[in-house]
Amino acid sequence: MRKNRVFGVAMSGLLATAAFGAAPVAAQDVTLDLWNFGAMGLEELITQYEAEHGIKVNIVQRGYDEHHEALLTSLMAGEVPDIAAVEVGYNSLFKATPQVFTDLRQFGAEALEPTYLDWRWAQGVATDGTIIGIPTDVGGIAMCFRTDLFEAAGLPTDPDEVSALWPDWDAFIETGKTFTAANTGAKFIDSAGGSVYNLVKNQGTEKYYAPNDPDTLIYETNPQNLKAWATAVAAIEAGLSANISQFSPEWNAGMANGDFAVLGCPAWMMNYIQGQAPDTAGKWNIASAPEKGGNWGGTQLTVPAASDNAQAAYDLIAWLLTPERQLEVFKLHGNFPSTPELYDTPEIQDFTSEFFSGAPVGKIFAESAKALHPVYEGPRERAIDREFGNGLGRIEAGLETADEAWASTLANVLLALQN
Amino acid sequence: MATTSTPGGAAPRTSLWGRLDERIGGYAYIAPFFIVFGLFGLIPILFTAWVSLHQWGALSDPTFVSFDNYARLLADPRFWNAAFNTLSIWVISTVPQLILALFLAHVLNETLLRGKGIFRMAMLVPNITSVLAVGIVFSSIFGRDYGLMNFLLESLGLNRVDWQASQPSSHVAISTMVMWRWTGYNTLILLAAMQAIPRDLYEVAAMDGAGRLRQFFTVTVPQLRNTIIFVTIVSTIGGMQIFTEPLVFGGTQQAITGGAARQYQTLALFLYEQGFRNFQFGYASTIAWVLFIVILGFSVVNLLLTRRIARD
Repeated sequence: MRKNRVFGVAMSGLLATAAFGAAPVAAQDVTLDLWNFGAMGLEELITQYEAEHGIKVNIVQRGYDEHHEALLTSLMAGEVPDIAAVEVGYNSLFKATPQVFTDLRQFGAEALEPTYLDWRWAQGVATDGTIIGIPTDVGGIAMCFRTDLFEAAGLPTDPDEVSALWPDWDAFIETGKTFTAANTGAKFIDSAGGSVYNLVKNQGTEKYYAPNDPDTLIYETNPQNLKAWATAVAAIEAGLSANISQFSPEWNAGMANGDFAVLGCPAWMMNYIQGQAPDTAGKWNIASAPEKGGNWGGTQLTVPAASDNAQAAYDLIAWLLTPERQLEVFKLHGNFPSTPELYDTPEIQDFTSEFFSGAPVGKIFAESAKALHPVYEGPRERAIDREFGNGLGRIEAGLETADEAWASTLANVLLALQN
Repeated sequence: MATTSTPGGAAPRTSLWGRLDERIGGYAYIAPFFIVFGLFGLIPILFTAWVSLHQWGALSDPTFVSFDNYARLLADPRFWNAAFNTLSIWVISTVPQLILALFLAHVLNETLLRGKGIFRMAMLVPNITSVLAVGIVFSSIFGRDYGLMNFLLESLGLNRVDWQASQPSSHVAISTMVMWRWTGYNTLILLAAMQAIPRDLYEVAAMDGAGRLRQFFTVTVPQLRNTIIFVTIVSTIGGMQIFTEPLVFGGTQQAITGGAARQYQTLALFLYEQGFRNFQFGYASTIAWVLFIVILGFSVVNLLLTRRIARD
């Protein structure tokens, strides 16, 4: 009797488990986890998609490095989100193991290729041909500046005249000195790393690695990197930098309070300014960057291989990143589309931003996006980049001279690359 | 029971269950602790030791490298820097903290003080506040441009300090967080010990003409020796592992390296950086083991000291 009862309990438990496991999942019950970083401007569209398709999307947003670190950890552990952003600085690191991502060719993603800029598309394709992600925006570079502070310093405020002030980076530094001499109480730029070094570095054809060669490091000799460093050092030594690290709370506060007059502006930076400093509407305008050209950033949306909802995740990505939706994101937030068919349309060409004093942002960033060219970023791109940023930070904080910082940075890069 | 049984007699035979209970019952009762400790304490420690002998990167398989990671660590300037920072923050936070706790405990022990219960409870509030919240509040207090501390310094006619920028200033700021959090806790432990000191010692001292200050130094402090050592051990173990305070203090992407010059990167942050930023699990495990050995060393020294003092 007793034995039977125990057996019965065990059986019913098994049956319950089996029934639970076999319960059909209704389409409405799909919940997608989406991990991203920073300001991508996709929230409104995702809300719209949820309403139209009866699914739920959990967005988890982290800091830039934290996001990629958490993603890597989750890929190793197998507890993954359904959709994950991968930024170009981390691209090569992730692409080295394409098997941890769903090959989007199984959903026919290759048909989307002609829609996007060639080099942006290529950033989502691994060497074995696996398509791991679809491109979001492009970060063509311009300069955002505060018209009120420029006026206070006796500088022109018309974007064309401002662009004419700094045809090259030396002229930019000179303009900064003029601005500083006027004693407005604000600094010229937020940080030498963010608004000078990164921009100059991103204007080159090579960064830290030789093109498409994950084994050859050229940061020590690449003239563009040397120039980026030297220009940033010149900006620090001229006292132009407010020395605030980007994406920190102080940076947000400084942006809102007008502690700096110029901010290097890849298109997505407009999203940050409008989000962090909404009260500064109408006080900004946009000029072209010294020496023009250059791209900073760019993200692919990927589907980790261990996702249970790969199809649903892909459907959402493909829907989110069509030209018309990228256009919508651009108009709302500033992140510029990676789909060239839009660039010459009146929607882009005639689009002006009220927040940026009516600047023709569509025309500005379309111009810059057309001029972009692919730049290879290697597997440890971000680790090297952080050391150069820290090196400049040590000069800004007065802890090291420029020469000392260059030497210590090279030593630190070697330590960081050690395996 | 055994005495009542006679050979060949009808002794009360304990059941199989009863005999099992006698033999292994005790182990069963203490098993939960050991199982939990094994799962969450011992196995990870041993696994970490195994990992520390391997090179193991992100999304790849471990390869055995023997003690290479240990050799590399001892030659790594970042390790020595982190070790110095940890020690420095520990000293700057522990020494003033214990002096302050001793003083506060003494005040709370005074018979004259009213509302003792409230004060004693208030002492623990910082300790039960989330360390993350403490960190966020303190890092805005020590903010360079909009921080309260710089506002105060300026209104006193002093210069602003960029707290995060240099080694000494960042260590002071971080130590302040640690002190704010742990002083009350240590005060209560010292207070409990103070209350256990026999009153007649003070009476004798008073009869010998010792003033209050003299009584404090010749009666209270020596009587508290063991407790002070206990408190020191506990704060050593905590201090060696300090992590959240410097992490939150840094606030941004620079926090994990402890600033641009690693000026406030502690050992635990260095471990985290190698493990979860650079994804070098072997190397990170090596740091963990070295940290473990250092803490073990400190604890043994402390234990020997306590024993010797107890014997005196």
